[in-house]
Amino acid sequence: MDVNFRKIDIDAYDEDVISEGELYEADPRDPGQVLEDAKAKAAAVRSSLSKGDMAGALGTILDSPPFGANVEDAKNLTLQTVVTVLNSTKSADIPNVVKSLTPEAQDTLMKYLYKGMAMPGWGDVSGSVLLGWHEKLTDVAGTGCIVRAMTDHRLV
Amino acid sequence: MSNVLRPYLAAVRSTLTAALTLENFASQVVERHNQPEVEVGKSKEVLLNPMIISRNENERVLIEPSVNSIRLSIKIKQADEIERILCKKFTRFMMQRAENFIVLRRKPVKGYDISFLITNTQTETMLKHKIVDFIIQFMEDVDREISEMKLSLNARARTVAESYLIAFNP
Amino acid sequence: MILLEPHNYIIQTTLAEKFTKPSSLDVQFVDFDGVRFHLSTPERKSALLLSMHIRCWDELVRYGAQEVLQREYGPLVQAQPEPEYNVSLVIDLDTAPPEGEERDNFVKSIALLKRNALAAPFELAFTKQKELESAGDGQGELTAIHYRDEEAIYIRAAHDRVTVIFSTVFREETDRIFGKVFLQEFVDARRLPTIQNAPQVLYTNRDPPLEIRHVPGLRDSEDIGYVTFVLFPRHFNNPTVAAGTISHIELFRDYLHYHIKCSKAYMQSRMRHRVAEFQKVLNRAKTEAATSTERKTVTGRTLHTR
Repeated sequence: MDVNFRKIDIDAYDEDVISEGELYEADPRDPGQVLEDAKAKAAAVRSSLSKGDMAGALGTILDSPPFGANVEDAKNLTLQTVVTVLNSTKSADIPNVVKSLTPEAQDTLMKYLYKGMAMPGWGDVSGSVLLGWHEKLTDVAGTGCIVRAMTDHRLV
Repeated sequence: MSNVLRPYLAAVRSTLTAALTLENFASQVVERHNQPEVEVGKSKEVLLNPMIISRNENERVLIEPSVNSIRLSIKIKQADEIERILCKKFTRFMMQRAENFIVLRRKPVKGYDISFLITNTQTETMLKHKIVDFIIQFMEDVDREISEMKLSLNARARTVAESYLIAFNP
Repeated sequence: MILLEPHNYIIQTTLAEKFTKPSSLDVQFVDFDGVRFHLSTPERKSALLLSMHIRCWDELVRYGAQEVLQREYGPLVQAQPEPEYNVSLVIDLDTAPPEGEERDNFVKSIALLKRNALAAPFELAFTKQKELESAGDGQGELTAIHYRDEEAIYIRAAHDRVTVIFSTVFREETDRIFGKVFLQEFVDARRLPTIQNAPQVLYTNRDPPLEIRHVPGLRDSEDIGYVTFVLFPRHFNNPTVAAGTISHIELFRDYLHYHIKCSKAYMQSRMRHRVAEFQKVLNRAKTEAATSTERKTVTGRTLHTR
């Protein structure tokens, strides 16, 4: 007797089953456009950094970050830029920089911190720098910020 | 607590505190079942983003939250062969006693040395901040215990070798 | 107790007891390396028969064990050993030395039966070295004693030294790693000024040392280790020193493994303590509700909450 039918995952055919795409609203922008935006922001961040404006640089890059599928290049570029800003900020300045960010930007920063920690050794990601930022950001934005990073399915 | 370790443990503490917001949640897939959703993994909408906190490649914590349970896995620092075997023995010893440690999982998640599973029943009957304290204390002590065991092994080996060889002196 | 003792404690205490109070007995016991003893009184209460079974007896006889035992025990050695055993001694309590130091020494010498049997190849190598030294050059034959199932001692005399090689098997990964730590310390310990006189120790893991590389049937696996001791004439020129060296080196393998087991036991007790501490920390998290007493129905059955 053919028993293969037992192995069929019938739950996948349930009409209420939720798909990956339904967990969040997709980015209205086109992937190419997103990558262009990321590049433009990276350039803007470089010029802010040369002026020593850390808060401005971080605010720029954290504004409307790439998320969702098909934008891997833009995500990597943005993470790379964020890490550069984080690494070049003096630890004494961190609290003030964090305070100057909007709540949305703080949440996005938290997402990037976790993303960076998930890939130790990638690029110039440094565990101790990210942990330092994480601590300061949690002091300012509270546990709620972590919860928002945890629950938001719009992965950066 | 050493100063280098502090930000790492602080990050684990705040993330774990954030993740420990659990509520009773019956399975949407199987009628009359109430399972830890993080272990079942059937309903995507009740699983939250897994979070990794790392100091470096060899020391990291994975926190997988869901609506009614969270899973926390620890990768313990292992610098050499001796630390690796001591860590293996220690975690094995502890996991064999998992029924006493209600929050301990019997097997670690792949890629980690030890895992904990905290469900909503446990957060209801136990004090949440004390569970967090326990996890942090565990992480602190396990590193220390392993390095102390390694030191004591080396010390014993030295004494044993010396007292054997010294007996050859006429 | 750090060092192991070369004599068998059971033989020593039993004999001492029987000297003061003879009675019939029949006991079997063991020693290191799978050596079996049988102590009995087959004929009368005052005549004790001590038999020993040792795995590598044939090899030992080839290297002169019979002569060594004859020298040590003389008329006590029986021409025909008890069945299933390799060598038997009869100790007549009536003709034994009088109480006091002399008797203690006699008892002690009987208790050294295993040590004396194993000493033969070492004594042979030491004499060989003397011969070669006067000849000025040359090497003795390689002596192999397979004293355990998978482990052996190799002895070779040269004109200026005697090399003793132990092969030892670490069955578990933990033993292998602990063994490596211990043996490394043996190699390093000679740097200490007080131990300069000790024999040189070399340790290799997996690859057999040059001296025995040609020997057939050597296992080539990760769990095997080879320890080489280089004994110089100063370790065996004087007969008393030579006897001490033999007693000491025979027990090397047992000493090493004994301490590996001790370390493991210590780790275990440490872990037990640490886990109990963790348990206390976790118990602090439990609220009244979690630790409440069990509830019972009227009929006395217990309710379990899950």
